[in-house]
Amino acid sequence: MNESELVALLKIKDRQAFKELVETWQDMVYNTSIGFLQNEEDAEDISQEVFIKVYQSIYSFKGQSKLSTWIYRITVSKCLDHLRKKKRKKRFAFMQGLYGNGDNLAIDPPDFIHPGVKTESKEKSIALFKAIDKLPPNQKAAFVLNKVEELSYREISEIMDSSESAVDSLLQRAKKNLQILLKDALA
Amino acid sequence: MDRHSHKKIEEALQSLDGIAKATPRPFFFTRLEARMQREKSKWDIISSFVSRPAIVFAGICLVIIINVAVILSSSSFSNSSSQPNNEISAADEYNSVTAPMYEYVNATP
Repeated sequence: MNESELVALLKIKDRQAFKELVETWQDMVYNTSIGFLQNEEDAEDISQEVFIKVYQSIYSFKGQSKLSTWIYRITVSKCLDHLRKKKRKKRFAFMQGLYGNGDNLAIDPPDFIHPGVKTESKEKSIALFKAIDKLPPNQKAAFVLNKVEELSYREISEIMDSSESAVDSLLQRAKKNLQILLKDALA
Repeated sequence: MDRHSHKKIEEALQSLDGIAKATPRPFFFTRLEARMQREKSKWDIISSFVSRPAIVFAGICLVIIINVAVILSSSSFSNSSSQPNNEISAADEYNSVTAPMYEYVNATP
């Protein structure tokens, strides 16, 4: 089944077509999500939300980009939204802590080890993921798509709706910021 | 930055090179379908509640009551405020409103 046939079937809510779509893209969506969220349960949750969104808004897919690019865009925006909400919750819990409600103190998440990292690189990757978490959203998106999903500059520029030179500049800035963050962390 | 810490930073930056793809737990589609079913049934409950005749009737009654209340309050407001308006319009008509001082000052002889 080619992409346009698949989209046509999805538009009439064909279950088999949806199953095929999920099975084709679930690894890509999950791997991207885990790169952003650094938590397996959150990644599973957001991956499900991505496919629900695809199912519900497939009628708005006009075929101007590849289906994978469209799914990547949904994944990136869902992940960034989730991180924003999490940050807000953390800030709220911190404020509650300041006003004496100690039960809601924000707890720092445990060290994240990506399941795909080579054994010898695991220790070093913990520091790197902590640093990635502190990057601004655009730099984080470009870095995760490039390093975790191993996408080319052209593919990232299509997903982020920008030019290849803009992606290159984002990655350069991300790398510089990561060097500063890692310098502090590894000192 | 000394060479040792520079090396450590570079090693950390390269720790994602050759990373394997993470995959979700088995039966992802089954869990996804179950979630969609749960969310659909939640909306089914809400829509079936909203579409019950008693709820629809109560909703219509509420809209009618609000409309009647708004009409009554606006008509009583217009009755109470109609008197001063009439006075002003009568005064305008007979030009009996006192002209402001500057009109006399600026009036050409």
